[in-house]
Amino acid sequence: MSDPTPQAPPYRAEPLTPWLREIPAAAEPHMRVPARIFADEILWRQIAADQSLTQLVNTAALPGVSRCVYAMPDVHEGYGFPVGGVAAMRVADGVISPGGVGYDINCGVRLLASDLDAGAIGSRIESVVHDLSRSIPAGPGRQRQIAFTDADLDDVLRSGSRCLLERGLASADDLALTESGGHLGAADPAQVSAKARARAHGQLGTIGSGNHFVEVQRVEEILDPAAAEAYGLRKDRVTVLIHTGSRGLGHQVCTDFVRRMDAVMARFGIVVPDRQLACAPFRSPEGAAYFGAMCAAANFAWANRQTIAHAARGVFRRAFGEAGALRLVYDVAHNIAKVERYDGEELCVHRKGATRAFGPANPETPAVYRGVGQPVLIPGSMGTASWVLAGNDAAAALSFASTCHGAGRALSRGAAKRLRTGRDVRRELEARGIVVRCPSGSELAEEAPQAYKDVERVVEVVHQAGLARKVARLTPLGVVKG
Amino acid sequence: MPASGGGSSAGATHELVEHVAEVRVRLRAPSYAGLVAEAGRALGALALRGRAGRARPEWREVEVSSADRAALLVDWINELVFLAERDLWVPTEFQVECTGPAAVRARARGVELDEAPALVKAATFDRLTLQERDGMLEAEVTLDV
Repeated sequence: MSDPTPQAPPYRAEPLTPWLREIPAAAEPHMRVPARIFADEILWRQIAADQSLTQLVNTAALPGVSRCVYAMPDVHEGYGFPVGGVAAMRVADGVISPGGVGYDINCGVRLLASDLDAGAIGSRIESVVHDLSRSIPAGPGRQRQIAFTDADLDDVLRSGSRCLLERGLASADDLALTESGGHLGAADPAQVSAKARARAHGQLGTIGSGNHFVEVQRVEEILDPAAAEAYGLRKDRVTVLIHTGSRGLGHQVCTDFVRRMDAVMARFGIVVPDRQLACAPFRSPEGAAYFGAMCAAANFAWANRQTIAHAARGVFRRAFGEAGALRLVYDVAHNIAKVERYDGEELCVHRKGATRAFGPANPETPAVYRGVGQPVLIPGSMGTASWVLAGNDAAAALSFASTCHGAGRALSRGAAKRLRTGRDVRRELEARGIVVRCPSGSELAEEAPQAYKDVERVVEVVHQAGLARKVARLTPLGVVKG
Repeated sequence: MPASGGGSSAGATHELVEHVAEVRVRLRAPSYAGLVAEAGRALGALALRGRAGRARPEWREVEVSSADRAALLVDWINELVFLAERDLWVPTEFQVECTGPAAVRARARGVELDEAPALVKAATFDRLTLQERDGMLEAEVTLDV
């Protein structure tokens, strides 16, 4: 394979600020609203090099789309929608699109903090990462031996993290510090197919593959002491970041409904520029069925990350006793559709590879973070820093209260492997004192830091644009890769 | 565009096309049935990534029907992804018969694994193409990985 040839951006975009550009709605006949891209000059050039802008412009064609569609600074080409894209459709007369959520429904990030001093861990990081890799199955398919029946699965799909309370796998504080309380009430397990249920078998409490991971980190730098204090983050303390989603179940839900909506679009008179944008009116039977299934898959993902957090707590307790207690800072989704209110209208906000960033005044921000804003968790690429940001109220008007979700890929998997072998990547990380556990050298190479955009630059754009503000920078000590 | 990770059988070929985040596969075959079989072989190669697995001599039957022939390629790959994840079974040999305008019946056999194959999680409709070129059928499908 070869890299994309650098070429002129497919669309002319007017700079609105140093951090924001706009492609006007007149750029394509099918556009109903403008497309806005948060980026600086360097990120803009990276973004323009793949299909991101074309895919973003295509999302502006969706019926009922409101105000603008947005690309976050980590945006890259995906399938149908770009990854790092935000589009909000009116609930009253707009559509819902499974492709606007993505296959890994409620892929997201969970941050746990401890009072352990990173310096005190020292050489024990090797055994901690080893125990994490043994306690939290990684890689594709089913490995976790949590016995649950079909009825248990229904409970997970209906209740998300809530159903783990009575099993002793979650606490009330955990639920309070999870986006939406770790549970979407609109979930309809009856809309989750037998195939999706079959794929869920044995997958609760597993990381999966691709860019998913569990990482042990050190709080390297605090930039907003008041917000960091509210989040319980202190310099040089140890944190654990978990990145995974709804596994095969979510993928099958998306597969089922893209197919189903592709088949009914003509009946609703909907024409889209790319079949992967398949959609149906939110208020149609098909739209309601997908929303119910998507919420159920989102609940599965929250329960998955909660179960993994429980396992991580066990590892730290075994290694450090009570001193190793891990408390939840927050858990955010970055592949999801949510009904929210903006500009006086009820909208179905599709965030695909984008993180919600509610500010201090938003009633959905957890009570303990009111006055600060919700934590926004931005994982870097493997071996680079991750960021904790705080949501700003101003983001509601700027981006439907959305921000980036990571560094964002810049190179294809093939190009990444031509740059570095898995062995090279492992050696480079280990030379920096980062302990790595990864079942596949090939996947390690594909996820090399060089395959991603610069997370520092991405976060700087988010901060300068006013979408969220910097709170703390976390650097890796050890990682278990999916 | 240059490609790697390809393969061929009975005049059919597949190759990987550049995509920043996912995997895009270009398939070519003299017939539609051949194209479907080649899609199965491409998925098998991506799923195994050099792993051998345990050979399973028995043939299994897989039937898929769709709205049209382009969609059928997506649905066919998705059916194989599902079987791989549920049964830890990756087919590598195919005998495909068209049973309708957008319907196929395939006999397939392959290998069994100890754990589900990595990489491909779904086939998508993203920029899905199916066209005739130089007397061959050519399709491109984006796979979610």
